[in-house]
This record gives sequence, structure tokens and C-alpha cells, in this order.
Amino acid sequence: MSDLDRAIEQLRACRLIPESQVRELCYKARELLIEEGNVVSVDAPVTICGDIHGQFHDLMELFRVGGDVPDTNYLFMGDFVDRGFYSLESFLLLLCLKVRYPDRITLIRGNHESRQITTVYGFYDECIRKYGSANVWRYCCEVFDYLALGAIVLGASSELEPSGSGVNNMTQSTMPVDDGELETEVLNSRGEVTMSTYRPRQRSSSDASTDSRNISPPRDISAAPGQTAAPARTGAPGTGASGDGNGSATTSRTGAVLCVHGGLSPLIDSVDKIRLIDRKQEVPHEGAMCDLLWSDPDEIEGWGLSPRGAGFLFGGDIVKQFNHLNGLSLVARAHQLVMEGYKEMFDGGIVTVWSAPNYCYRCGNVAAILELGEDTSSGGTVARSNGEYGRSNGVVGADNTVVSPGRRYRVFEAAAQDTRGMPAKKPVADYFL
Amino acid sequence: MNPDGRAIRVLAVLDASEPHTFVEPTKRIHESQDVSAFLSSKAYSDIMTFILQLNRAMFPSKLPDGTIQTWPLGSDAVQFSAPVRQLQRLLSKLEDIVQEVPPHTGPRRFGNISFRKWHEVLASRASDLLRECLPAELLDKRSSTGQGVTAEAELKAYFLGSWGSGQRLDYGTGHELSFLAFLGAIWKLHGFPQSEFGVEERALVLGVIEPYLELVRLLIKTYTLEPAGSHGVWGLDDHSFIPYVFGSAQLSPAIEDTDLTPEEGSLPDVPNTNAVMKLNIVERERRSNLYFSAIGFIYDVKKGPFWEHSPMLYDISGIQAGWGKINKGMIKMYNAEVLSKFPVVQHFPFGSLFSFDRDPNAVMPPTTVHTTSGPQGRPVVPDAGPPSSSTARPSAEPGTKAPWATAGSSTRAPTAAPWATGRSTEPSRAPATLPDTSRLPPGPMAPTRAPWAGAQTQSPPPGGDGPTKAPWAK
Repeated sequence: MSDLDRAIEQLRACRLIPESQVRELCYKARELLIEEGNVVSVDAPVTICGDIHGQFHDLMELFRVGGDVPDTNYLFMGDFVDRGFYSLESFLLLLCLKVRYPDRITLIRGNHESRQITTVYGFYDECIRKYGSANVWRYCCEVFDYLALGAIVLGASSELEPSGSGVNNMTQSTMPVDDGELETEVLNSRGEVTMSTYRPRQRSSSDASTDSRNISPPRDISAAPGQTAAPARTGAPGTGASGDGNGSATTSRTGAVLCVHGGLSPLIDSVDKIRLIDRKQEVPHEGAMCDLLWSDPDEIEGWGLSPRGAGFLFGGDIVKQFNHLNGLSLVARAHQLVMEGYKEMFDGGIVTVWSAPNYCYRCGNVAAILELGEDTSSGGTVARSNGEYGRSNGVVGADNTVVSPGRRYRVFEAAAQDTRGMPAKKPVADYFL
Repeated sequence: MNPDGRAIRVLAVLDASEPHTFVEPTKRIHESQDVSAFLSSKAYSDIMTFILQLNRAMFPSKLPDGTIQTWPLGSDAVQFSAPVRQLQRLLSKLEDIVQEVPPHTGPRRFGNISFRKWHEVLASRASDLLRECLPAELLDKRSSTGQGVTAEAELKAYFLGSWGSGQRLDYGTGHELSFLAFLGAIWKLHGFPQSEFGVEERALVLGVIEPYLELVRLLIKTYTLEPAGSHGVWGLDDHSFIPYVFGSAQLSPAIEDTDLTPEEGSLPDVPNTNAVMKLNIVERERRSNLYFSAIGFIYDVKKGPFWEHSPMLYDISGIQAGWGKINKGMIKMYNAEVLSKFPVVQHFPFGSLFSFDRDPNAVMPPTTVHTTSGPQGRPVVPDAGPPSSSTARPSAEPGTKAPWATAGSSTRAPTAAPWATGRSTEPSRAPATLPDTSRLPPGPMAPTRAPWAGAQTQSPPPGGDGPTKAPWAK
């Protein structure tokens, strides 16, 4: 077993690794991240996750629900640290996994991956308290500077293969199954479907192969980590959304998905412009890089001031235009607590994914992850929108509109707490000496 | 500052024989350097004096016959003067507004937008409410010249600042500070009867401040208000600070008038400091003690192990030297983490009652605790280069509604940028000239400097902990 595997094992047990090892890890991580572009390309299938905020036990629950690395391909949209008790354990584990399985986990930067923000929102305090000095905080901040700003998911399928659990009586379908293709599905942490939506089948759906939607058993999420019993016809565990031979021509029209922590920027009208940013720095107080990490969608037209004091608010028209110009079908982002764990806005043009259940121990929200399946309809060499500006040239015909990917949300609650032992009290702050 | 001999320092009331000019309070702390000016201002001195005065009064009293008089919540031994009862009426009228403005039940993020409505109602009624509950001769006090605003303008500023932010749907220690200033302002205006030391002070803590805290908790729960700027679990408490000060005083050793304020030990037979971990004791003690009342609220709203969601209070519960030790520490910490924190005090408005003028008696540096509580070796942060400059930022377009005015959208729970001013309606954001040295991190428990603050200022470094509020919070 390598040192790295040992570190992973130790961190999974919620035990910190020595400072020297953190230093080495951060060095390796930087070497790896420096090779990544500002916008990482990720192939579906992929599981997209939102804010973690140091909620380590809930991160473990996320892996239980979504499958383990490397079985599941993950994309984390930032905000690993701050606010929670276990920012260090959470971030270092994710970083170890990144170094160990670089192609199976993608980490992009959130607004909290910043020196300035971590000194205000807790991560700095945590480093001092747990390591006795700011060294580890510094190592981590150096890694933050190298994290990508976004990711483009390519090759996602427009249609989900039904996960088909046995609780169809709870299913609220928008349409009878036979009349449409499964567009979204919401599952609870036991893998039971709680909601599905269908979209009308396209003309080409004379291809009746989709009728072969044999109901797969629910994923046995109680299985040992890494041993998930995936349905026979699905792709990699945790995606559950692919299928061979059941795709129609419609699936190849699935646009790319842009993943970014916060949202859009008035300075960025194309994905390529993101690629031009010099990202290897502390998050600035303004400008394109800042906006990508700080902005929020809102029910407004155009751009608005953000109450956060950084980034902007942007409306549905902005999202629609941006997606259209860039051949995108969806923007996935995190950054805002949503009580239901995910929230689609603007006719599905953007989704907020939030992965910190019962945020700050008190918000009472559930968390979610978003699975996008792989489109295998063209033997894995589908024509893909790659998110390049000018590709669609703004003159995409109505019949050429990109179709949103099938979206499977797995919703989960905060992990049980009874197993956490009470630590010894630490020396109190100087004030009390 | 502690009593030497019998002289207990109390907040001075206005001297009627001296000329006085009321002014509309305005913000004076615009950048972190201004915090040092604040720390040697008359306002700072008055606030600390008032807090220490209230704190001193909450220590149990050793009576001449040797018995000990404690000052629990609901104590029969504390009589409420007419002005105190009027303030209680004021608070209950604010509570009535909660009934009038039920929380919005539609889709929302976290903070409930109905809190904005609560604030609007409050603002529209504030003048009437103050007039109803405070004596006219107090509100209508004029400057010696007969010109300008009356005392009401100053009182109203602190009153309105005491209830969280309707815009950001949050609440923090800056709002709590504003309420203390409101009471202090009434005090300075002779709003409370002159009696022997402790009588009015105790009535204020038990009869006004605790009900204020209860009302704030009601607001927090009803409208799911966010902590205004938060170190997450690494802060003392999401919202409040002052109950930990007065509550620990209630459990400290009894004193006579001439005694120095104890710095350690506990009153016999009070709960041990580690009782905060015991739910049954918390439930019992929260009815009589401000500290436990605050702890009880944490248990009410948080789910999870106490040591995990409140590690600082957990560590404090291990203090062996008693509630007196905790009390002393809380005051030091309040001084450092609230009063010395740029993000907190930047929104405090200064008028004539709490004046930004230099206190001629101010000792420099006025807050020595800060320098001693800083980190041993301050890490050097590599300069990450200048922020990418971008000109021609689009401002809010005409017709774009202000985010806080958008019906149905809430601005809940967002992490606000520490450099955000929040209240500004201008499209401008952080000053473009923010120095990179801003990233100098704070010490573990060190006092305040805004992270984006200028380089080598006299002001202490930012606090690592404490019930931080949003820098932009009012």
C-alpha cells in the first residue's frame, strides 16, 4: 500500500495526516492542477456535487449514496472548506483522491477557496487549531490558486435509463412512461425514485428500442464501498444513466454542460474567454474570475447587483443567451443553499446543486448530487458540443436546438452522528488564560 | 476600570450645565485604520464603561448580614423602574409586528423575505413607538443652540440598528451592540432613575436585555435569519455575545461594593462550567441564567454534537478556574472580537452621545489584549499578484430591481464578500485599490482586522474566532 493509499485510508477515517505529508500532497496536487486548463473537459458519465463546507461525515454519506471514487467519476464545484468542523479532513481527502485518481475526480474552485475568505469563515482558525500553525493553511491556499475555474461536461445522454426502483406508487410522473423519454429523476438516499419527469419523444423516436426499458433493481447502496451492485446495463457505477442501444438520434443533440461554482459574468460571453483568464492567483475582488465564483442567478432580467458585494445577479435571459451562444444545454453551479438540495431555474437552463445537508447544523435542508449519464448512441464518438464560442454562431436553427441532458438527482440527508466520539477539550483561547 | 475603593465607574450622564449639540449619527469607520481611532474614541470608552458597569452589577452581592443575593432571571429582588417597564412595552410591540408579518411560506432559500416586511413596518412605526415608550422631554432634548436635530435622531439610529438586516436577512453582534448603545444613549440622557449602583443596571440586564435577546431569538427562528458573517463552527456563537458576558457574571463569586471584580472562581452551588454539555442542566438553568439561556438556544436550533458545532464553547466549558475566569475572558474577547473588529464596528454610527472624538484619557494602545493574543509567528502570505483589473463593469442596468427588492427572491445564506458594503446602492464594489497585503491572515484568536484591510495599520489583526458578523452588516 502506497503512502497515498494509506493517507486516503486515514482521512476516510476522519483522522488527519501529518503536516509533512500535507505538504507533499499539496505539492503533488499543484503539479497536477497546473496542467489543467481553466475549464477542464470532463466526459460523461459524471456525478456533479456542490458545496461541502467541511461537513466530512456528510461527504462520506455523499460517497455512500453516489458511489466511491474511482468507481464513480466525480466533479466537485468548490467550497470544500469553511464553516464546518472538518474542512481539513474533507479537503485533504478530496485532494488525495485527486492525486490518486486524477481522471476520476475533478475539483474546481469555489469562492471559499481563497486566503481572504478562509480567514473570515473558519478554515484558517481550523488549521491553527488542528495543526498549531498556519503552515497547512498556507499549503492549502497555494493549491486553491491552481484549481480550475470551471468544467465542461461532454457527451451526456439526453435520456436517463430508468433506475426503476420499486416505489413507483410514489412517482409523480409528468407523463406516462411510454409517451416520453425520461428526462429527470429524483432518488432518495435509499435509491428509491421519488419523482420523474419525461419529455415528449422526438420525431425520430420511431426508433422503438427505447421500449426496452427493463426495470433495473435499485442500486444496493448498502453494499460495501466500491462494490455497488450496478444494474447490468448501466455504465460506470454511480451514473446509472447510460445504456447501450436505447439511445435515439435525439441524444446526440445533447449540448455540453458548463460547471462553475457561482455563475456567469458580464465580462464572459463565451467559454473560451474563461480559458484566457490568468487563474493562478488569489480570487480577485472583481472581474471575470471573481464573478464566476461569486455570481448568483436570480429572477431578474439582465444583470443586477449582488447583495454579496461580489459577483453579480443574472437573469434567465442571460443564461439562455449564454447557453445558446456556447452550444450549452445547461449550466450547473453551486454556491447557494437550496432547501431541496437542487434547484432548476430558467426552464432548466441552470441548476443549483447543494451538497451540504443540514448546513451549519441548523438549516434543515437536504443535499443533492447530480448524475449525468453517458451518451453511447453513436458508439461513444458522438458529435459533441464542446462549448466553444462561435460554434453555434448564434444562428442555431430551431431544429438544431440542443437538448438538455438527462438528470438524475440523488438527494440525501445529514449523516448520523451517534458514532462520533467526543474529543478531548483543547486549550482555550488566550482570552481565557 | 474596575472600582478602586468604592468608586465604581459608571457611564456619565450629560451635564446639563455644559453646552451640548446633538447630531445625526453617521458612520465614521470606513477602513480598518479607523478602528484604532475608534478604540481611542469617547464612544469606545463609553461603550466599554457601560458594559463593565452592567457586568459588575450582575455579580452576586454579599450582603452586610453575610447572606448572598444572586440575580437570576425573573428575580423578585430586582424591581423594574418605570422607564424599564416602558422599554419592555416597546419590545412587546415589536413582538406584535412578528404576529402581523408571518413568515413567507413560498419557495425560498433560507432567510425569509418576510423579515424585510417586518423591518419596513418597524421603520414606519419607529418614531411613534419611541414617542410612545420614551418620555417626550428625553426625545425632544435640543442642542444648546436650539438648532439642529434633537436627541431622538441619535436614539432612533441605534434603535433601528438593533434588529438585524432586512436586506441581508441576517443578525449579528453589531446589531446587539447597537441595542446596547440605544440603552446607553437613554442612560446618558437621564432616562433612568438615579439610584444606588446596580439597581437600574440589573433591571436593564434582566428586564430589558434578556427580553431583547428573546425577541431576537424569535426573529431568528421565525424568519430563519442568517448569522451575520460567520466563522462557522469556529465562532463563539452564530448571533450573540453579550449573554455570555452577563450570564457568566451571574454565576461568579459574590462581591461587596468595595471588592474588585473577581477574575476567577464561582459562586458555590452553581452549575459547573462543563454543565453546558448536559442538556438537563441547560434546560433548568436557561430559565435563570443568561449564559445558559444562550446555550439553550443553540441546542434549540442546532442538530449535531455540541463539541462539533460549538467547539469554542465546548473548550470554554473545560475551564477549571470557574465562571469568574470565563467572565473575564468573555470581556476580553468581546473587546477584541466585537469592538475591535472592523467588519462589526464599521457600521456603527457616531453622534454626540457616542462620539468619534478622541477620548483625552484614552490609553494608547487602548486594547492591549489584542497584541498579546495574536499569533506567535504571523505567516507570510505570498503575494498573488494584482487582482485582474477589469474596467467597464456593467452596473445595475436601469430597470434592474435591487436584489433585496425582488419579490420572491431571497438573498439568503450567501457568503457575502467581506469587503462588501452591502448597504451601498451604488454599483461600485470593492475599491479597486485594495492592497494585496490584505491577505495577511489573522491570528488564531487574535482581534480584528478585516482581511482586505490595509497593510501595516495600528489596528489589531483580524480575529480568528468569535461571533463574527458579516463585515457589511449594519
